Amino acid sequence: MTQTTTSPSSDLTGPVTLEDDATPLVRMIGRALRQSARVGHAGQLFARSAGNVAVRSHDTPQSATISIDSGSVSVSGGVLVDPDATLVVDVGARYRPTGEPAGDAGLAELVLSALNPPFPHWRESAEQFWEAARSVPGIPDVLVVVVEDESGSTEARFGSGDTEFVVAGTADVLGGLFTGADEFIPALSSGLRIQGTWAQLSVMSSASWKVRFDV
Amino acid sequence: MSENLNNVRLEATNHDGTLIGKTVTPAKFASGKTSGFAFADVLFAIDLGTQFVLGDAYEDWRGNLYDIAMVPDQSTLIEWRPGLDSVIGDFHKQDGTPVPLCPRNMVRRLVARLAEQGLTATVAVEIEATLFEESIQEARAKGYRDLTPLGGSTGSTYQIARSSDWVAYMEAVTRRLDALGIVWEAWTDEAAPGQTELNLAPTDPIRITDNWVRTKQVMREVANDLGHTVTFMAKPTAGFGQGAHLNLSLQRDGVNQFHADGELADLLRHSVGGLMATMAGNTSIALPQITSYRRLEDFSGPPTTMSWGLNNKTAAVRAITHHPKYSRLEYRLPGADVNPYYAVAGMLAGILAGIEGKIDPPPEVTDMAWCLPGRAGVARIPDTMSKAWRALDADPLLREYLGDEFVDFWVASRRWEWMEFHTKGGDPFAPLSEWESLRYFEFA
Repeated sequence: MTQTTTSPSSDLTGPVTLEDDATPLVRMIGRALRQSARVGHAGQLFARSAGNVAVRSHDTPQSATISIDSGSVSVSGGVLVDPDATLVVDVGARYRPTGEPAGDAGLAELVLSALNPPFPHWRESAEQFWEAARSVPGIPDVLVVVVEDESGSTEARFGSGDTEFVVAGTADVLGGLFTGADEFIPALSSGLRIQGTWAQLSVMSSASWKVRFDV
Repeated sequence: MSENLNNVRLEATNHDGTLIGKTVTPAKFASGKTSGFAFADVLFAIDLGTQFVLGDAYEDWRGNLYDIAMVPDQSTLIEWRPGLDSVIGDFHKQDGTPVPLCPRNMVRRLVARLAEQGLTATVAVEIEATLFEESIQEARAKGYRDLTPLGGSTGSTYQIARSSDWVAYMEAVTRRLDALGIVWEAWTDEAAPGQTELNLAPTDPIRITDNWVRTKQVMREVANDLGHTVTFMAKPTAGFGQGAHLNLSLQRDGVNQFHADGELADLLRHSVGGLMATMAGNTSIALPQITSYRRLEDFSGPPTTMSWGLNNKTAAVRAITHHPKYSRLEYRLPGADVNPYYAVAGMLAGILAGIEGKIDPPPEVTDMAWCLPGRAGVARIPDTMSKAWRALDADPLLREYLGDEFVDFWVASRRWEWMEFHTKGGDPFAPLSEWESLRYFEFA
């Protein structure tokens, strides 16, 4: 397996490496594991000496293998080894299990937890999203974030300039978008609201993929 | 054709390359034949699964899904069949300027740039397709899988002994082409069961691409009429694939510039140099669909390395230089599923880049170009859609000659296609997944 990153000490990638030319599932798993590693959310998983966990989509052929080896984790497409545990999940719903895991239930639980790092405060995750998105060609000058809750709404603006794009929703909906846990277009069916042009919508979709899949 | 009393089918292509359009009455055609006909810009923003293609920064002309105008090229007006005429057109913006993404406009632009060099191009194409006994309705019911090759399940090639149903199909196709004035040169049994190769005669780049898309339409219609099925998928079964080799020569004052008795002329060397320099990026255009990349197997026909050679059919570019008239470059990269206009535009872009930049080619590959070891110094062709779009994205030559707008659009559309495949049911570990058959079989 050719690896894109092999530096366990890297702040951005942590102890997680992905195979070359990785699939979307491998990329999003890698993103989640790296985030968990960064915030110390997956200490027990990374402390394991060995283990292979298969992650399978419940409704598509997508699958990936998470391999743990003395504190480092690699993610590859498909399941080409006999796994110690198998998770069948809804990859479009934050890895919600659609059945009981097979094999080592404890290991499966650690992986499942690592795939769902806690969201930072929405303002922090919005800043991180904007930092990644602002280099996408055609991105609006300003991202206007409106957080809505029972008591009203709070607004924050990122960037400066003439063109704006508004995203609005609950902290959870926005957190899902900004961290890459959720995808932009499907989130429109889950409470995300937007205001902007069609062209901006297209670019925001690209920005969402950049954060979620690093493509 | 001075007066038109038939309904007219307005025809063009979008990024996917199959004929699209609509049929209008004679009166409607008369009212818009010079000013153009409104089409939704969404035709450049929709995929074969009827999803909006997102990801690039749409230019201002696209607005919030504006209309664009299809302006017929009346030199292409023909009687398609009794009661129906056919005309091919180009897409224009609301301000009347050409839509840069329009495949036919891209070829026009590059032909004009070639003319600035005092050159004209002549292009021929080898169309490969696979025929099945089943009707299209039966094929759909079977998910386009486990179909019966027309003419038997035995491979080989050049077989004249194929059963008469196979021969009858090709003869019906060529009769239709003759009636339409589309000049073809040859057809034959190709290597895979049910597979044919039909060669269109060399002509100018616009006419060959028009003829190409119309020939594919004819082949589909004849298959329907005879109760059979034809597909241009790059790999319609888990077995053989199929390509679309382009043969191109350059003329100055009517004289073939690729003819060489001895040392290769600078124009030929630079043309090869440009094709080689742009090959990685052009792969994204020449191999547009997920299935395209499943063809790239050594020893199976298509090139797998970024290579060129004199009369070397295992290389990606084959130079034929010995004949005063027929000397040419055979570009063996495109799959049968390629958008004909984009394919020719990509080849012209590479050649122009080479000529204008005086790009020298890498050493000729005189060995077999498949399975070369790393020490040979010949890189492999990008073998996945994602590798290919990244190569295109990073190619300054193709950005210059095809335009940033097209490259950004195409990269985003291929990224979209890749994502749809992986997340909506495609299986990269299957020899050919059901998702591909459903998406590509009819409209590749």
